[in-house]
Amino acid sequence: MQAPQGKRRLNISMTTKTKLEGLLFVLPGFLYTVAVLGYPLVYNFLLSLRNVDVRTFVRGTSTFVGLANFKALFNNPTFLLVLKNTFVFTFGSLVFQFTIGFALALLFSKKFKLAGPVRGLLLIAYMMPMSVTAMLGKNIFGVSGLINDLLLKVGLIQQPVEWLVNTSTAMIGVVAMNCWVGIPFNMLILTSGLTTIPNSIYDSAAVDGATGWQRFRYITLPLLRPAILAVLMLGFIYTFKAFDLMFVMTAGGPLNATDVLGTYAYQLSFTKYQFSLGAATGMVLFCCLLVVGLFYLRLIAAEEE
Amino acid sequence: MPMRVERILSSREAKANAIYNVVAIIIAVIFLFPIYWLVMMSFKSDAEIFSPVLTYFPRDFTIQPWLLNIRDKEFFMSLRNSCIIATMSMCLSMVIGIPAAYGMGRYKVPGRRIMLLAFLVSQMLPPSLMLTPMYLIFNKMGLLGTYWAPVVAISSGSIPFIVIILRSYFNSIPRSLDDAARIDGCNALQSFFMIMLPAIKTGIITVAVISFLGGWNDLAYSMTFNVMPEMRPLTANIYKFQSKYGTRWNAIMAYGAILVTPVVLAFVFLQKYIVGGLTAGAVKE
Repeated sequence: MQAPQGKRRLNISMTTKTKLEGLLFVLPGFLYTVAVLGYPLVYNFLLSLRNVDVRTFVRGTSTFVGLANFKALFNNPTFLLVLKNTFVFTFGSLVFQFTIGFALALLFSKKFKLAGPVRGLLLIAYMMPMSVTAMLGKNIFGVSGLINDLLLKVGLIQQPVEWLVNTSTAMIGVVAMNCWVGIPFNMLILTSGLTTIPNSIYDSAAVDGATGWQRFRYITLPLLRPAILAVLMLGFIYTFKAFDLMFVMTAGGPLNATDVLGTYAYQLSFTKYQFSLGAATGMVLFCCLLVVGLFYLRLIAAEEE
Repeated sequence: MPMRVERILSSREAKANAIYNVVAIIIAVIFLFPIYWLVMMSFKSDAEIFSPVLTYFPRDFTIQPWLLNIRDKEFFMSLRNSCIIATMSMCLSMVIGIPAAYGMGRYKVPGRRIMLLAFLVSQMLPPSLMLTPMYLIFNKMGLLGTYWAPVVAISSGSIPFIVIILRSYFNSIPRSLDDAARIDGCNALQSFFMIMLPAIKTGIITVAVISFLGGWNDLAYSMTFNVMPEMRPLTANIYKFQSKYGTRWNAIMAYGAILVTPVVLAFVFLQKYIVGGLTAGAVKE
């Protein structure tokens, strides 16, 4: 009786010790995240409820104004346009980068010699600095740029289009450049999802006489569901927060036609120095991300089980 | 008979293989054409840039646009800043992130579900949201105008990424390995440095490359927290050079090409690490 009890006590003290040991490894990272992200996030929330601009910030005379900043934003037609732009940009990008990325994934999940190397090469578009992508976009969507030249040669347009100067076409330019970045990412995630589907399922379906479309509809799509959901939600999160692309390519223009929540918050805080309005815009951005983020976390938690 | 069937099958397979390869090359050529465009434009002469006829290959190949950048003192300052910011944020995020990943991956730490949640959520917080509060906080702390402001902010994005990726790497090391280390008299730190880190070398390279590129690519933080051009990296000075060179797109493209170089080098030499890391970081295995 005595011995097992002693052993158990030893075990308990060992596990407490190792738990503490583990905590010591994790704690710096966790505290860093809380201090550098958590604290500013709370700070931003409080900021959005006050009237901090450059004057009240320096003098420390800001006051609590409740939801006045949010009221001001939602009564401002420019903000409503920016909000609409953000959703148009996000869904426009998602539709094209997902469908094209999916088509490429179907190809690159096949086993052939160049599958790996080419797949990797395409990722350069995803990994290169967004500011360079934006600059490149500014050039090729210019009046005498590559896009106009190609469209004229093919005969789709009769005269050059001022893509980034017209309010009606500027969004096309930024969405196109964003898709160029997003396609390889979608392809990568969906390819790795596709390779987890065992070939034997397809083989037995083929034996049962399933057509290519039927195999895609009833095997690929359902089994790929987690990867599809993940890539769509991550795509939303990555696209909705866009900043660099518009900042360099169009500066939100012309006439706010490509302004999104990220760039608008920046302008409010750092060109107009209305920090509280910038913070309130940030809160709207955060809430939209949070909704999708919660679904994403649930998906991950389900996989973790 | 069976041999003939096999031969027919394999020849059909070879044919499919060839078609796939050709299609893949065509896709790569179309998709990467903008990068060709970037590099090609950087070797055009001024006369060719301003000519109304758009050429798809430089008529008179010149390295003048590159020299224009390289001879510029401001360019070198920006390049140095890019290197400093990328290296500092890589080091900071690895020093803090790798132990955290180890703790999350190998110990049943109390509150680990909450902490994992915190790391996952923080991956979703964009610079465009954090700029305003961080600017005001850093202002109070006197960090604005130093390298630390962008470095601390950038690392807050790469640390959660490192934790999430390396957690599963650490998790996959067999338990017996650290038991053996403990029996041999290693303490926790010794077994971390001498057994665990070498065992996940691939993972370490992956996060090093990706967090370096994360710092290299940053625009928002560096641009907002450092107003003076002499503290800014290449990404943040890009439009300063744009206005300096006006519509001299050859010089601007050479600037862009230099900025893309580390990314291309990373892909040429370390492709498998990046591909693995990006996949693991986005969806859980």
